[in-house]
Amino acid sequence: MSDLIEIKGFTNATLGWKAWLDVVSLDSATPEQIAVLEESHPQAKVSDYYLFLVHQPEVLKQRSVAFNAIMYAPGGMPRAERELGATVVSRINGCVYCASVHAQRFEQLAKRTDAIIEVFNDPHAAGTSERERAIVQFSIALTSAPDAVSPADIQALKDVGLTELEILDLMHSVAIFAWANRLMLNLGEPVFP
Amino acid sequence: MTTTQPTDTIDRLVGLSPTLNTYSVRHQRDKVVAATQKSEEGLFDPTLPGLTLAERLLVALLACTLTPSALCAAEYRQRLVDLNVEKSLIDHISNGALEQITDARLRSILTFTHALITDPVKADKAALQALPIAGLSTPEVVTLAQLIAFVSYQVRVVAGLNAMKLLELQA
Repeated sequence: MSDLIEIKGFTNATLGWKAWLDVVSLDSATPEQIAVLEESHPQAKVSDYYLFLVHQPEVLKQRSVAFNAIMYAPGGMPRAERELGATVVSRINGCVYCASVHAQRFEQLAKRTDAIIEVFNDPHAAGTSERERAIVQFSIALTSAPDAVSPADIQALKDVGLTELEILDLMHSVAIFAWANRLMLNLGEPVFP
Repeated sequence: MTTTQPTDTIDRLVGLSPTLNTYSVRHQRDKVVAATQKSEEGLFDPTLPGLTLAERLLVALLACTLTPSALCAAEYRQRLVDLNVEKSLIDHISNGALEQITDARLRSILTFTHALITDPVKADKAALQALPIAGLSTPEVVTLAQLIAFVSYQVRVVAGLNAMKLLELQA
């Protein structure tokens, strides 16, 4: 078991989530809705989040394909670093639920929590190495002011050794959490243990 | 003729063609490229029941205007023009002048969009529950939230790839 982190309202504890409007009941779900739930996430059939989004199954299906391809595809940026990017975005956007999930995934993959503690404390100063700091800074920039992202920001990632595929993976990880955070923050709320 | 135009929206907006290295890098993640395009096509499918296509494009235009994302805002503005949506309505959205929107349903949709783009953490349960009060069904609320969230994603992919392309062209 990992040590519990609780900093500035963010945590690595396992949280629940409940929807603010009516979710689809499995008893009345269509075969298409059931199929999309099964494709989306192993726990989707017991998750308020997926049971709410499945009101529009085709949209959820494509979101899940994109999400899973971005976060789990082999090669490119190490998965721990994609999770770090996701956690930074969630910290900047104030999504406590997403931050908790992806803080845990970072720890599972990287076998450490130091970078997460830094991100929760002060994302702008976070990163335990030059490479990590560059990843964190880029994640903040693309989240806060996408149109201001410039060739110099890409060069800064190359300068600390990121390949172009790694940079693409980071962009996708940051962008998909602009998407995920807005659903988690605005359609329901975390449930604390 | 448009036969040589790429059909992928992000490639088209960023100006990526197979001769560019940035295009090759992006297409190493073809599954993401395809799911991104299919997400957009699903959210802007003219036959999707619920929110009208004009309502959905107005939401996208407001989201891109507020982010801001010049490339994406120009795209959604053009699609609204092509759909023959009233010019003054498009201009109000481009100017962020939501107080000029008189239709209560559209105004509640755009108010929710404004909240999710500018300060998602402050948009609370009351912001969401204002939508059913304005007459939106739950599936319509889901479409709206996914649409705003998708555009938040799309503008960032476009911005990142655009910076990568500009760096490539500088070299």
